Amino acid sequence: MKTGLFRKPLFLAATLLTVGFSLAPFLWFVSSAFKTQTQLTAIPPQWWPAFSMEFFRSAVLHYGIFHYLINSVIVAGSTTLVTIFLATLAGYALAQLPRRVSQIILMGILTCAMFPQIAIVGPIWKFLQIMGWLNTYQGLVLPYVALTLPLAVWILTLFFQQMPKELEAAALVDGCTRLMALVRVILPLSAPGLFTAAILCFIYAWNEFFLGLLIMTDPLKQTMPVGIALFQGEHVVPWGEIAAASFITTAPLVIMVLIFQRRIVTGLSAGAVKG
Amino acid sequence: MTPGDKKLYLFLLVPAILVLLLFVGAPICQSIFLSFHRDIIALPQLKTPFVGLDNFGELLRDPVARHSFLITVIFVATTTSFELLIGLLIALLINHRFPGRGALRACVLIPWAIPTVVSAQMWRFLFNDAYGMINYVIFGVESARYIPWLAMPGTALSALIIADIWKTSSFAALLILAGLQVIPDELYRAARVDGAGSWRRFWHITWPLIRPALLVALLFRTIDAFRVFDLAFVMTPGGPADATNVLQLYGYKKMFVEGWMGYGSAISVSVFLIVLVLAIIYLRTIGRHLMEARA
Amino acid sequence: MRTSIKSRIILILGLFYFMTGVVFAGEPTDIVFLTWKTSQPKVWANLIEEFQRENPGIRVKLQVAPHSSTQYHAIVTQRLKNKDASVDVFFMDVIWPPEFANAGWLLDLTPRFKEQQRAKFLPGPIAANTYRGKIYGVPCYLAAGLFYYRSDLLRKYGFEPPRTWDEMLSQGYEILKGENDPALSIYSAQFKQYEGLVCDMMEFIWSNGGTVIDPKANRSTLAEPPAVDAVSFVRDRIIGKASPRGALNYEEPESLELFIQGKAVFHRNWPYAWSIANNPKRSRIAGKTGVGTLPAFPGHAPASALGGWQFGINRWSRHYDEAWRFVQFMTSHQSQRTLALKAGLAPTRRSVYQDLEVRKKMPHLKAFLPAFEKARPRPLSPVYQMISQELQRFFSRAIAGRKSNIPALAGVASKKIQKLLELGAMVQR
Repeated sequence: MKTGLFRKPLFLAATLLTVGFSLAPFLWFVSSAFKTQTQLTAIPPQWWPAFSMEFFRSAVLHYGIFHYLINSVIVAGSTTLVTIFLATLAGYALAQLPRRVSQIILMGILTCAMFPQIAIVGPIWKFLQIMGWLNTYQGLVLPYVALTLPLAVWILTLFFQQMPKELEAAALVDGCTRLMALVRVILPLSAPGLFTAAILCFIYAWNEFFLGLLIMTDPLKQTMPVGIALFQGEHVVPWGEIAAASFITTAPLVIMVLIFQRRIVTGLSAGAVKG
Repeated sequence: MTPGDKKLYLFLLVPAILVLLLFVGAPICQSIFLSFHRDIIALPQLKTPFVGLDNFGELLRDPVARHSFLITVIFVATTTSFELLIGLLIALLINHRFPGRGALRACVLIPWAIPTVVSAQMWRFLFNDAYGMINYVIFGVESARYIPWLAMPGTALSALIIADIWKTSSFAALLILAGLQVIPDELYRAARVDGAGSWRRFWHITWPLIRPALLVALLFRTIDAFRVFDLAFVMTPGGPADATNVLQLYGYKKMFVEGWMGYGSAISVSVFLIVLVLAIIYLRTIGRHLMEARA
Repeated sequence: MRTSIKSRIILILGLFYFMTGVVFAGEPTDIVFLTWKTSQPKVWANLIEEFQRENPGIRVKLQVAPHSSTQYHAIVTQRLKNKDASVDVFFMDVIWPPEFANAGWLLDLTPRFKEQQRAKFLPGPIAANTYRGKIYGVPCYLAAGLFYYRSDLLRKYGFEPPRTWDEMLSQGYEILKGENDPALSIYSAQFKQYEGLVCDMMEFIWSNGGTVIDPKANRSTLAEPPAVDAVSFVRDRIIGKASPRGALNYEEPESLELFIQGKAVFHRNWPYAWSIANNPKRSRIAGKTGVGTLPAFPGHAPASALGGWQFGINRWSRHYDEAWRFVQFMTSHQSQRTLALKAGLAPTRRSVYQDLEVRKKMPHLKAFLPAFEKARPRPLSPVYQMISQELQRFFSRAIAGRKSNIPALAGVASKKIQKLLELGAMVQR
């Protein structure tokens, strides 16, 4: 709805309050990454950082932050690709099957997603050990795929169900097979849904911590959240380095959110409420 | 649908279901299996006898578990209600069309996109007893009055709750926003023609129409809040005086620290059952209505 | 024709010889060493490199987990209980050997780590690595609770380092009055609900003549007067009085931070704190500190908790010999000397304390020796982790609540610990 509210001071205040609530704590924390050790814990606080890059240098040189970053990109990227691929196939099939059948399957998948993760971590570990996949990328990617699939399947099934059946029927009449119809007609039309599901998967895999901690003990394979957890040293609390690492971890997500916010919003709406 | 099609659909479903069964389904079964056994990893001499429902009986008698349950319920109740309230306000705000709306939407999404490990560390820094920003905002430079938030049982849980509200209110806002966006503008226009004030418009149009969306948000949040783990694990690991020992953290400590696999699994299975019951209530109350609407 | 067959055979043999030669010379055995993230990765990396230079047939691969003893324990046990052969050597906290040995996860080192070798180490860590007469680990470095103080302030007010806790408080209050600095507090230590709390609180209990467990009778003594009184003392006189209430959330780093910022007169920590407190780049009180044994209650001897880390060899490893060579190298006089000089870690071999360079550069180490010799272990039990969780819960509840009913809480905790002790005894029969 379009209103004249924008001119009202109350509206402006609410906007500012929302922005402050969302951003202030994080900006304050991240600004400490640009400070010096003494600025960091000063009271009264030093509002304006000295733009010392010392903590970033230390995070890069001593803590090898870029290494974690690359691993995170690999793991989160492959998780997203695999999940979306599998979820597209499954979602397409579920959208075609009779409602009754698809609903039972969907419910089963969602029930899986409700189980507390810490309880399944042990058995997952054991399985990876048998396969020899501990400390490998696939050892982290496959569990992440399993953990992100329910949401992705859910979103995509709903998207495919909303597609007008006539489109596909027309494609079939034109001599397409079902799979060709999926690739040529349905997928391009459901780009927003694919997109949302992809972003949600990526954020999940980018942020997941506990499973990564247990599976990845090889420093060459550890992801960013695990790396940050390892920062906590034996001697001092390296707030500056943690803040610098947090900045580096969060920046890609923030940029993604800034670019794709509209799609995230539409995708979520479709996924949650219309379901 | 031809039989060939049916085969194709089943074939398309196989990979996803296989991955789910291997990495989630089987582990869940194993966890449920363990919850009926006594399995202490440090004492392999005791073997792993079947004990029936003993672990669950023990859980009901365990005062620490009861305390954890209580804390978890408090956590769930306060976080979800605040998240819904703040989420609703944010959603109403974002639903207006105004210049910079996209930027505002992105701002609101940022807390949600930040890794929990990072936001937990951030709140530890903000709640610090000697140089935390929150103390400065409240007490200024009078450091003698600073509150050690994470060191006192009452305030430590509050700190955890605040951190969670900050992080997930935006998620609630998104879900509610989705409900708001399906309300046709015409309704508001008609109401305004009839002379209804903004408060009346809210009560008579917005509120009834977003109730389903609110319920969806409530249930998504309840399910997640019941399973809270990362936040407590990084911020407090359970202390002080068990004040932040939420159920999942207690389960983690039983399984991974002390090695009571059976008992720890029983805690997780119980959390799962609670969440499942809540989810069924959710589907009963709103699911049917929505499915009818869709059909 | 014949010659060509012959030459072919020779060729094949030669090739075979060449190939096995390549296998033996060019393909060293990998052993995996699981440890936590250290603060001086370079020092450790250099040691490992040196080992590889001396042993070209062995390559060491490092794996790292979090530094928190409890989190690291979770990762190590996860691997060992699943008979994971992909780890050969791992770092062990001093409280783990009984648990691991009982579960059959550790290689019995008794035939390799001979009696006369063990005699060269300090007795405390050797006892901690011994379970039912067999030895399962080799101590790398040790730690014990030490008492740091501001020597400048004590001198200014004419005090000797306090011998009793009461003396510490009275000196502290006088110094606080004289300094008139609202940011200054008397005592900084670790009171968060975690493993370190057990050490700090046991030191109070021991220095009151109490115990937590009577090992001979396998009986919990937590609810008895010396223990209850010591815990009450901490709640009534330390938390929120001598220490800021925030100490209920302090681990070692936070409490050390307070001390090196010049905001505490007295401080309890492990030996590593000495070099940080005296490093002018990090500390505001460099050169103004002293260190000694912790105070006690009147009429009782002071006590400090034993800490430190050991090497264990995974029972499921396929490279016992290579692993043992690595452990031997890392715990040699030379390596311990390097770790002492470059990383400030306290050696477990007596000989390193006599080393000239160590004595010159780290004179305080010699002063620590009496405390190290007398350091007392936390309960040596296969169910220690369970006992520790109960102790942490009890201590934290007792000292975090201003009006906690300590005797009642101690009674509950004591009963639980008694049950755990019986569980532990059951498997040892």
